[in-house]
Amino acid sequence: MPPALRARDLVKSYGRGRAARRVLDGASLEVQRGELVAVVGRSGSGKSTLLHLLGGLDWPEEGWVEVGGERMDARRADALRARRIGFVFQAFHLVPELTGLENVLLAARLPGNRNGIAQRGAELVEQLGLGQVSGALPHELSGGEQQRFAIARALASDPDVVLADEPTGNLDAASGEQVLGLLGALSGEGRGVVVVTHEPAVVERATRVVELRDGRIA
Amino acid sequence: MTRAFGVFAAALVVGVCVTVAYGLSTGFQRAASQADLPDVIVRFDTQDRAKVDARLRTIPGLEARSYRYEVTDVPLTFGSHFTGRGSVHVVTGGRRGYAIVPGRDARPGAREIVVEPGRARAWGITIGSTLDVGSAGALRVVGEGLEPDNVAFPVATAARVYLRPQLGGDFGVNLAQLWLRPGASLDAALTQARAQSFGVHGLSFITRTGVRALVGQAAGVVIALLVAFSLVALGVAAVMLGTAAHAEVRRGLASLGVRRALGFPRRMLARAAARRAALRALPAAALGLAAGWLAARGPSASLLATLNERPPGAAILLPLAACLAGVVVLVVAAATWPTWRATAGAPAALLRGGELAGRTATRLPLGSTPAALGARLVVARRGRYAGVVVLLAACAAVALLMLALASLLARLRDDPATLGKRYQLTVGADPSASRRIAQIPGVAAAAPRWQLSAVDSFALGEPMRIIAFPGDHTRFEAPPLASGRRLRGDGEAEVGSGLADALGLAPGGTLGIQLADGREVRFRVAGVVRALDNQGRIAYVAPGRLKPELAGLSPEIAVRLTPGADRGAVADRLSQLGLEPSQATGATGSGSSATVLDVLSAVLRVLAGAVGAVLLYALVQALALTATERRPTLALLRALGAPARTLGVVLGGAGLALVLPAAILAVLVERAVLGPLVARLTAGYADLALGATAGQAALVAAGLLVLAAAAAAWVGARARRAAIAPALRR
Repeated sequence: MPPALRARDLVKSYGRGRAARRVLDGASLEVQRGELVAVVGRSGSGKSTLLHLLGGLDWPEEGWVEVGGERMDARRADALRARRIGFVFQAFHLVPELTGLENVLLAARLPGNRNGIAQRGAELVEQLGLGQVSGALPHELSGGEQQRFAIARALASDPDVVLADEPTGNLDAASGEQVLGLLGALSGEGRGVVVVTHEPAVVERATRVVELRDGRIA
Repeated sequence: MTRAFGVFAAALVVGVCVTVAYGLSTGFQRAASQADLPDVIVRFDTQDRAKVDARLRTIPGLEARSYRYEVTDVPLTFGSHFTGRGSVHVVTGGRRGYAIVPGRDARPGAREIVVEPGRARAWGITIGSTLDVGSAGALRVVGEGLEPDNVAFPVATAARVYLRPQLGGDFGVNLAQLWLRPGASLDAALTQARAQSFGVHGLSFITRTGVRALVGQAAGVVIALLVAFSLVALGVAAVMLGTAAHAEVRRGLASLGVRRALGFPRRMLARAAARRAALRALPAAALGLAAGWLAARGPSASLLATLNERPPGAAILLPLAACLAGVVVLVVAAATWPTWRATAGAPAALLRGGELAGRTATRLPLGSTPAALGARLVVARRGRYAGVVVLLAACAAVALLMLALASLLARLRDDPATLGKRYQLTVGADPSASRRIAQIPGVAAAAPRWQLSAVDSFALGEPMRIIAFPGDHTRFEAPPLASGRRLRGDGEAEVGSGLADALGLAPGGTLGIQLADGREVRFRVAGVVRALDNQGRIAYVAPGRLKPELAGLSPEIAVRLTPGADRGAVADRLSQLGLEPSQATGATGSGSSATVLDVLSAVLRVLAGAVGAVLLYALVQALALTATERRPTLALLRALGAPARTLGVVLGGAGLALVLPAAILAVLVERAVLGPLVARLTAGYADLALGATAGQAALVAAGLLVLAAAAAAWVGARARRAAIAPALRR
């Protein structure tokens, strides 16, 4: 079985001329199923950029990414994100006009997505203890609840890989702990989980910690 | 640069609208003052000047008077140009009542002539050239005379020229111009003039106010549509300005957050925003208004010239300055208010690039499909949503009005039923033939229809058309009743609104008519009808009291067909009987009026198309703003794996949420406000049904849907090109 995620020799630059900066300079990473990999590094080291390239939200100048053995390219990126990748963001990115449950079911409404996503999403809401507040709008929810809804949304399509960008950055300690528990459980289910973080608590729970330094995985 | 361009573009639209609207609304007064247009113009059959002067000189409040002799249908030749409809005005001295625009007036006795500017323009007549004027021969053109008592060539078909021959002794005149002293009563002067004119034939009075109303009526449709179009354009301009200012504040949220964090008070930040906006708006708005004025000046002057009116010249500066102030105030307000609102939140939220203050999502029962999500996104900004819906509704209502107006014009031209005519064919035949005609298969009824001209015998001179049918005339002509009831006998009449307005008639009043042979006949007014024919100066009577006059007239037989009858077959049958059937026509039948209606109809349809372009622009702006504001949401959808086309579906839903209520509102506004308003503006003397039909409403609604789809596709394509990751970093 192919690894959950493979990336080779990723190169990405920002800016032009003298201000040009190569953020990633040949970064490579392989994540096995069941692994929770924490990516650490100083601010501006390119952690979020790496995550975006891994998830097909941005494109490398050089190098390639494979998810579940499928090569990421512009033509297939939408489908790969829909079937194989789940995102969790620091800012949650819940749509403010939709209730928590509707946010989770958003993926199910998208054209071309598999049947069963809606049912799985509803089950996840219950499993994550959000049944009571499933009809609430995001601004009526606590930060922890919002992030749990975001995690439920990421998992609704049963992805191979979950990519989380500072998932506890906007949460209090208790909520953060709860979210970390969930991410740990995800890797336990056989998914590959990549978490970009500064938080020691996340690092402690990771099965592997990689550091991004000078544009490469150290 | 882009924001300044937005202000420039909006100001340009305002500049165009103001230039045209101000020029049109003040053009007549300007031209009338310049030309020294008299307060009253009296036309009559040729009389000895001394005799006329003896009667008119005693009119109370009279300041000055002058006389002319007008000869019509004079052949005029200039190079290869020729018309047989020259109108030669022989000016006999005194105040002349026309302005010399270029050149000078003709000298008495010299073989010189002044031509009207419209004809000079059309034929390329220059000062110093020679014009052949009927039997007078070649005369040297020395100037152009502007007289705003009528519209100019080519709207008016007659070509007016002015001569000042050396007149000795007494001579005949047929036109008098009367100037009243300031403050003198026009009504008293008119009453006295009518009383003094007893026995004078072919008499007609027209006042300066009346000229203005007549010219205004001619240009009424154009002006009303321009005003409507200007309002729509101003609405779009306001949305453009508001959008640009709002987008600017959004871009500068972090910068505002830094300043708030450093301790800058809100008021200072708002003031700084106002100052910046004013500094940017002032030159851009000034340039835009100047460009709009430059763009509209030529066409506006041409339009005014067609109406024999004068462009405003430097007087336009005042309204343009007011517009400059208005645009700057609007831009400043649009920039300051969002800044004030944004800085109400915590500086930290601003530093994170947070949303503008006051955003709390509302639960809406719209579902969560991509299209429904789009609807939710656009409805979320309730104030702006309402504003855009109202703007779209206003645009669509104007488009609907133009379609309704265009089809009404076509009906007026072609469909006799629009004028209340219920017969489809006419036949020139003896009245006794009507029974024979009525027996033809497909004919429901046939009756003789007499039509004759008369004048009001009380006010001496108001011309009218008398129509007489034996029995119930509403079987053949039934304009809607405005007041009173239908006529019941020989002594009663139904009068058109135009005639009722001119003579102050109401049900129960008396209509006195003077016939061509001088005999006077009186009728009791039974009702007032909204007739469009002959500008409503019409009266329906029974033939009883007019028998002597009607006996000498050949009536036409009005032939009303049974529903579904074949008009061609009936016409063939009539031809077989040796009769020559004609098709009953609308207001104009054929000829130049029909051509004008055709052109106006086409112009209206083109304008409806232009409004469609404005609608598309407004929709694109609204959707683009939503897409910009909701970039994170759209990026999230992409992150969840939504195919790129889904963004188009989301924005399509947003567009649908805008155009559906707008379409409903547009139909209501057109039927309840715009239609009745324009109907009154364009023809107060008649009942013009300007309510859009269900088909037209469906057409506009379908057009809105197509435009929304086009706007969504356009904005969606742009949104698809935007990178996902940066939007999610915010």
